[in-house]
Amino acid sequence: MINPIVRCRGVGKSFGSGELVVHALRDVDLDILAGDFATLAGPSGSGKTTLLNMIGALDRPTSGTVEIDGQSLAGMDKSGLSELRLHKIGFVFQAYNLVPVLSAQENIEFVLQLQKVAPDERARRAREVLAEVGLEGMGHRRPSALSGGQQQRVAVARALVSRPSIVLADEPTANLDSATTTELVGLMARLNQELGITFVIGTHDPRVMDHSQRHIELLDGRIASDTRS
Amino acid sequence: MQNLKTLAPLAWRNLWRNTRRTVITLIVVSVGLWSVLFFNSFLNAWGQAGKDAVLDLLIGQGQIHAQGYMDDPSIERLMRPPEGTFLEALEAGEIGAWSMRLQLPGVVVSEYKTLPVNMVGVDPAAERILSSIPEKIVKGRYLLDAHDSSVILGISLAERLKTGVGRRVILMSQNVAGALSEQSFDVVGIYDADKATEDYYAFTGLVAAQKFVGLDDEIAQITFTIPEEEALESTVARLALAAPDLDVRPWKQLSLFLATTDSFMQNFIYIWLAVVFSLMAIGIVNTQLMAVFERTHEFGLLRALGMKPRQVLVLVALESTFLIGFGVLLGVALAGMTIWALADGIDLSAFAAGLEMFQGGQVLYPQYDAQRFVVFSLLIWVLGILVALWPAWRAAKLSPIEAMRQVT
Repeated sequence: MINPIVRCRGVGKSFGSGELVVHALRDVDLDILAGDFATLAGPSGSGKTTLLNMIGALDRPTSGTVEIDGQSLAGMDKSGLSELRLHKIGFVFQAYNLVPVLSAQENIEFVLQLQKVAPDERARRAREVLAEVGLEGMGHRRPSALSGGQQQRVAVARALVSRPSIVLADEPTANLDSATTTELVGLMARLNQELGITFVIGTHDPRVMDHSQRHIELLDGRIASDTRS
Repeated sequence: MQNLKTLAPLAWRNLWRNTRRTVITLIVVSVGLWSVLFFNSFLNAWGQAGKDAVLDLLIGQGQIHAQGYMDDPSIERLMRPPEGTFLEALEAGEIGAWSMRLQLPGVVVSEYKTLPVNMVGVDPAAERILSSIPEKIVKGRYLLDAHDSSVILGISLAERLKTGVGRRVILMSQNVAGALSEQSFDVVGIYDADKATEDYYAFTGLVAAQKFVGLDDEIAQITFTIPEEEALESTVARLALAAPDLDVRPWKQLSLFLATTDSFMQNFIYIWLAVVFSLMAIGIVNTQLMAVFERTHEFGLLRALGMKPRQVLVLVALESTFLIGFGVLLGVALAGMTIWALADGIDLSAFAAGLEMFQGGQVLYPQYDAQRFVVFSLLIWVLGILVALWPAWRAAKLSPIEAMRQVT
């Protein structure tokens, strides 16, 4: 039996109090396995982002448990959660997700700096992932000198550079045009197939879902369906 | 250390994201510190000039009298010239100069007026080293020696007496027998000092003054100066030990006004520092809060990527450290250049009348006060960083999710 990278059991998340309680997630059981290329879909308010936040150790469930690579998030303090995110999880956000005062390469290296990787090793690995995402030779550019698609590629490279257990992407194509979306999704799918990197992508973009091997549908905070293709 | 290596370059670049705001903060910090450092030097110079002017004139750094003379400065309370261990103590290295004086309260009479006066018998040779009066002769000459029985008057007194160089005045004072002595003295010189001195002090030779009131060699006071003021307290103690039956006092006990002014000058700078720093702190906190609010989303991103709250705090605090540190360096440089540019002195002679009232010198020489330069600069830097910790703490406690919801 393969140990799942992410294991959610009875996960619930509610916001507010008293009569104004909103249940964003209800009793979610979910396992994400190594090598999965999964999409989380569902209408707005269905709980996609909330679930990604739980899996990404960005938030804590109101009930239930979340384990990443066998480590339970319960009882971890803020620094512990930061450490977990730094070493186990890569993120690709919708937009505004690069540090504007750092070049593309520096943005990628920054995660490795936090991990205290030696400078030479950092630079080498950053150049490698830049090449993997097709941005070879563009490492010196600041985000403002890159297109939206190129910025997202840098974000993917940054998510990959520390070789995390899982990469979480929340609406990564929402701000991209059609061609760039196809290009970016193709890139993530290729990295999944070639390097075995696990992706969980929150989206309602059919072009993204078309590439996924596993499709998880959320509705009113519950998993409505979980299918593999 | 590794944290600093990672965060310092990022902090430095963040500083220049909003150049205008950074430059404004730099100006606030540097001008604020400049004002504190320059004002400190200016006040020191003012205090020193005023002190020098007053002490050099008559008071010296300290005086020695017979016991009770300060309460009742009469001819019955005089002392003998120093000898033995007392003389040795006066000749010791830390005392720059000393002079014996006989001060006789009396009246001066001209053809037109009779006015009260303090006749001071002096040894001109010693006074030339110790007092600035000999340099302040504006008409005629100074006394030749202790036997010189002519008189030096201040401008103001001479004007009020309607007399001058080449004329004669009569001085009257109580003699040793308790009777009134009177004698005619040639006016040989007019000196220019502050009005209070000019009005009440007339100078003649020490021996001439002693003869005038029938004394042998008794004196009323010994005035002394010391080159290093830090040694004053120990010198006074040593002299008191050498002459236990005499009254040895430092200048602070002889001129309370000057002592109060000196103390005020020394402490006023701290009030100014507090005012300047309060204004500066508002500027720094405001700037850093703006910088944090503007980058809320980015702090959320950094936290999501794995940055710990402590590292966010260090990042923002480093930005303040650089910003304020740079401002402090500029402020020190500005203050240094200003003081250098004014090394030849600030001439306040245009305000001479007003300065005289405050016993101030007319030319001020601002000087580097290395200790206060360092202390005030570090104080501003450290306090600046401390107040900037509040915005840093706000950034550090942001929840990554809440922060990333904000789009700026």
